[in-house]
Amino acid sequence: MDAAALQAFLEASVRLAAPLALAALGETISERAGVINIGLEGSIIGGALGGALGALFTGSPGAGVLAGAAAGTAIAAIFALFAVTLNADQIIVGTAVTLGGLGIAGVVYQSVFGATGTALTLPTLPALPLPGLSALPVIGPALFSQAWTTYLACLLAPALWYFLFRTRWGLDLRAVGEEPGAADAAGIRVRRIRFLAVLGAGLLAGIAGAHLALAHAGTFAEGMSAGRGFIAIAVVVLGRWNPLLVLLASLFFGAASALQFELQAVFANVPYQLLLAFPYLLTLAALAGWIGRSRAPAALAHPWPPRSGE
Amino acid sequence: MARAAVEMRSVSKRFGPIEALADASLRAYPGEVHALLGENGAGKTTLMRVLCGALAPDGGEVLVENRRLPPGGTRAAAAAGIGMVHQHFALVPSLTVAENVALGTREGSGLRLALDRVHARLAELERVTGLPVDAGAPVAGLSVGAKQRVEILKALYRDPRVLVLDEPTTVLGPQEVDWLFGVLRSLVAEGRTVLLIGHKLDEILRVADRVTVLRRGRTVLAQGRETVDAPGLARAMIGRETTRAAGAARAEAGERVARVEAVGIRGDDGRMAARDVTLDIHRGEIVGIGGVEGNGQRELALVLSGRLPPAAGSVHLPATVSLIPQDRSAGGLVPGFDLAENMALAFHDDRAHRRGPLIAWRAMRRTARQIVARFDVRTPGWRATARSLSGGNQQKLLVGRELARSPDLLVAENPMRGLDIAAAAFLRDKLVELKGGGPGEGDAGAGGRPTNAPPGIVLFSTDLDEVLDLGDRVFVLVRGRLIAVPEEERNPAGMGRLMLGSERA
Repeated sequence: MDAAALQAFLEASVRLAAPLALAALGETISERAGVINIGLEGSIIGGALGGALGALFTGSPGAGVLAGAAAGTAIAAIFALFAVTLNADQIIVGTAVTLGGLGIAGVVYQSVFGATGTALTLPTLPALPLPGLSALPVIGPALFSQAWTTYLACLLAPALWYFLFRTRWGLDLRAVGEEPGAADAAGIRVRRIRFLAVLGAGLLAGIAGAHLALAHAGTFAEGMSAGRGFIAIAVVVLGRWNPLLVLLASLFFGAASALQFELQAVFANVPYQLLLAFPYLLTLAALAGWIGRSRAPAALAHPWPPRSGE
Repeated sequence: MARAAVEMRSVSKRFGPIEALADASLRAYPGEVHALLGENGAGKTTLMRVLCGALAPDGGEVLVENRRLPPGGTRAAAAAGIGMVHQHFALVPSLTVAENVALGTREGSGLRLALDRVHARLAELERVTGLPVDAGAPVAGLSVGAKQRVEILKALYRDPRVLVLDEPTTVLGPQEVDWLFGVLRSLVAEGRTVLLIGHKLDEILRVADRVTVLRRGRTVLAQGRETVDAPGLARAMIGRETTRAAGAARAEAGERVARVEAVGIRGDDGRMAARDVTLDIHRGEIVGIGGVEGNGQRELALVLSGRLPPAAGSVHLPATVSLIPQDRSAGGLVPGFDLAENMALAFHDDRAHRRGPLIAWRAMRRTARQIVARFDVRTPGWRATARSLSGGNQQKLLVGRELARSPDLLVAENPMRGLDIAAAAFLRDKLVELKGGGPGEGDAGAGGRPTNAPPGIVLFSTDLDEVLDLGDRVFVLVRGRLIAVPEEERNPAGMGRLMLGSERA
């Protein structure tokens, strides 16, 4: 691989990793509080559509990101209303929110742009070269000339790590995800923390969706989230519910996806669908190798208050 | 008299059809250890959960230092100075001791968690109370006794005016109980109030200044220590006279019915829960095994009943083994099944209870009815699920079913826990009768064992008096090691010494 190809590979890895990292970091917070948000995919597609509409109507991609964040949060609020406030089954509500989110995004898109949907061109998030660093050979243009949402993901990882493991709120949140009964006995408001954690996850998933539309594709297409919500959930497991490792796991998956494009070029006679499966197979292998040594929050997907018992 | 620290007036609380509290009152003063007594299901824990805000009462009122406690949940109660040490510990296993203590406190400057401050204050509390604890250790790896110390320190950390302890002595050895009572006395000497839920009368009478007795959700007695005695309290608790049975005669051992040899057992957490356990069990004897909870009893009971393969050593078991597990819903009853269905779990292979491949439901219901009648199981109705029974009544149903199977070996883990006094005495008599080859409950028709071949019985209990009273041979189980109690140490203090001695080794 020559320098130009390596640079392209690295750049693609980071670009593909960024939306995953944003969504997975949010999901980490939610799962640490004991809520598995299968509705993440719904928040991502909502964020993509919100981002597209916001950028289109204001002409500003930054405003688009804000609109995407708001849309992702709103969809997460629906999930939280049912799964936390009304204490319904998290898996079922999450599935409904994902399917509903994908459907509603399609309906809104078609009602705004018509059923045929001529390809939409959006104002995109510009690359922000970091002074100095972006001048480095190969890695400069690859790593330090990205959209600001990518830098946001990188800064969020240590910030969320600090939040989880060094602050009172982080301690309370982890207790809620491990042993909500003990947290409740200590006077912690279990549902409120869970609700807020889910909203936070929706906010980041919304930004991830907006990044897809505005930094990645420069357009919106139905179903463009393409399962990233579910991959993000796998990435959380791969990153063992630790924001720093989750960021690394996102980069790993981003690199696997980027490598897959390279492989398509090299093995032109292999059906590309097989190569498309490559990152997913790699993820399965990594999960199988790692999961034995990691442990999910003990109360993950457990309702609060408990449904049966006393 | 001084102003009451806690006053609860005519508190009532219903759970569906069950009236947990009808007219419960309690008045406790600063500087006293106040015992709350009652049979299982009398409403002690419910009353205390009302006090600490976990339950909203249907009627009545709660005053703390003459101020009405707003029905605002646990935070309002904590703000009023109520601290609770739960029977089932409210700890997060994956967090450290210090982190558990810090939970829900506003410890820290701004957002940052000041764990060093928590460590410092814990060290101070340790010094004052003499409760040793390793503040940096994760709670998951602690012994049961250490977890309780953490619970107590966690409550004291918030500097409560009133400290509630729910059955704290069930997980402690005799020496640890003395020590806990010493700590409680020093707390009330500082002007605090200690509310102690219990059911062992002589233990309670050693430490309490005043006693309140609940019976079926009503306060039936509230007196100072000097005016009550154990028989009077027992009468108040159950509403009639009881006689304590004389100690059971020691049995001559019959033929060997089970043997475990050099057995090592791996617990759920992957650590060795028991090692090098060798034990012969004979027909017609009760092997009593005492010890503090969490020392391998559950795992050894599972191996002895064939539910868990050992990691090392050999196990020889007879055809029919009955297990009365401590956790009734995990290995005993199916909470969502009704009474006959729960009987069917044990009897579906039995000739008298099936017709070819079909279950003979009529016979099954008859057996269920017999057990309900003999063991005085209180059920809301015939189609009632096991879940709808109180804990004590579930225990009676399970014990009745297992005795009715005419087992060759009966393994019982704390079978008396959760039973009221009368039912415990009844079960005790049944066990004695069973080992003597008496009829037991064998007329329910399972198996063809002749009545002159009694089962071997292994009785695990944290109540050393129970082990000493019933055991023909007595052992203690400490950190997974089984130690025979020699004749000259056959008393609670001697057993306590063996338990401590082995801990140091």
